[in-house]
Amino acid sequence: MNDEAIDLETLRRGARLAGFSWSDAELEEIRPMVIAGLRMLHSLEAAPVGDVEPTTHYRTV
Amino acid sequence: MTDLARMIAAKAVSPVEVVRAHLDRIAALDGDLHAYITVDGDAALAAARAAEAELMAGRPVGPLHGVPYALKDLYDTAGVRTTGGSRILGERVPQADATVVRRLAEAGAIVLGKLNMVEFAYGPEGLNPHYGHARNPWDRAVHRMAGGSSSGSGVAVAAGLAPGSLGSDTGGSIRIPSSLCGITGLKPTYGRVSRAGVLPLAWSMDHVGPMTRSAADCALMLRAIAGYDAADASTSVLPVPDYGAALTGDLKGLRVGLLRGFFLEGAAPEVRASVETAARVLAAAGAVVDDVTLDQMQHVAGASLAIVGSEALAYHAERLRTRAGEFDPDVARRLRAGAYVTGVHYVRAQQARALVRDEVDRALARRDVLLAPSTPVAAPPVDARQIELGDGQSDIRTALVRFNRPFNLSGHPSCSVPCGFTAAGLPVGMQFVGRPFDEATVLRAADGWQRLTDFHVRHPVLG
Repeated sequence: MNDEAIDLETLRRGARLAGFSWSDAELEEIRPMVIAGLRMLHSLEAAPVGDVEPTTHYRTV
Repeated sequence: MTDLARMIAAKAVSPVEVVRAHLDRIAALDGDLHAYITVDGDAALAAARAAEAELMAGRPVGPLHGVPYALKDLYDTAGVRTTGGSRILGERVPQADATVVRRLAEAGAIVLGKLNMVEFAYGPEGLNPHYGHARNPWDRAVHRMAGGSSSGSGVAVAAGLAPGSLGSDTGGSIRIPSSLCGITGLKPTYGRVSRAGVLPLAWSMDHVGPMTRSAADCALMLRAIAGYDAADASTSVLPVPDYGAALTGDLKGLRVGLLRGFFLEGAAPEVRASVETAARVLAAAGAVVDDVTLDQMQHVAGASLAIVGSEALAYHAERLRTRAGEFDPDVARRLRAGAYVTGVHYVRAQQARALVRDEVDRALARRDVLLAPSTPVAAPPVDARQIELGDGQSDIRTALVRFNRPFNLSGHPSCSVPCGFTAAGLPVGMQFVGRPFDEATVLRAADGWQRLTDFHVRHPVLG
């Protein structure tokens, strides 16, 4: 998803799906942060994870 | 703390005198420093009088008998408000102590009060609009960041308002303020110390640990708080060693991997120079130092964002729906951004986390500790937003967490120690990272370093 695709309507839909009803002003405030964050999250696709099993915390002994 | 414990046990000094001296210093300086949210002076003095009576009666006492400390205001304390640095929990008074608070009481330690922090521990700069920004005590002219989120813990110890403290560390929140305030802070292995009764930021990344003036003090506190706790399923059943016995001062043969690339080359020039000098000092003392580069670090920021963003939002979701206006607006924005992390992002992040953990394990397979800067810069001014690093411009927040988050993801223990001062007189920190549950070797390295240098015994000049 490119940066332009993260418009106000996309943010509204995302918030609704997550169970929140935030005002347009609140959504505009976080738009740059969401765009930067999604860029970082998409870069995770380049991680050579293969079939690495996800961990949730350090293996407890 | 080690000196105070010894002097109190030998009846060379009274716990009442020690507690009163700290309360006087808090009264004199904290109006400006904002290290404390709540000072529990009457209870501390009552506990000190009881500790003195026990000593005079010749009863057996614990290793921290009569020694005062303070704790970040996210540890539950029975009968004393625990705010999490928030207005929302401003009047919250827990019924019971957190496990580690109870264990420190059993060891004889006395609580002076609850320390300032970033609201709900969500931020590395150390700012808090509700209780005042904790002030870094090393610069009286410029208001500089104390580092966070355990800002009050760093300031209180650096300024002599407590001999030791407890912090918590989800992305560097023990090591960042330790570095910026010139003190020693230990993030133990994930699972080494119970988090029961500690307000969470992100369950799978949260660690709790001591912030003190020396590695020896960290060892003393860690021994008291570490170990299995039925109330925290993440805690390990591994026995707790005598960390103090590991502090031999002997660095001969200690295998130290100096973390280059993402770490050293990413630091500002003065920080890099301090850590490189430290590596040479360690080598001259008999340590075997070699260079290490980790290749998976580019995934750390995204993985941390996905994990902390979604776990923190999950914890605060209901408050964000009903009391959003009472949050620090900056914290509210960060929490809201977590809503756009998908389930796939979260799982991918946990996969990347496994890669990071395995890479750090491999680097430690033939080494005892890794060495890296704790923060890439010394304390920035509170209004700074961007900073120049060794490999380009960065926003302050990203810069402060950069060298810390890898070991929150991986769970390895890490201890930040002072390793120099900038030309402007600000402390510089570096961290020793060790194998899982091998805090003894991490502390041995940190203590060995501190026996060779005096950075950790220098104090800011205060009024």
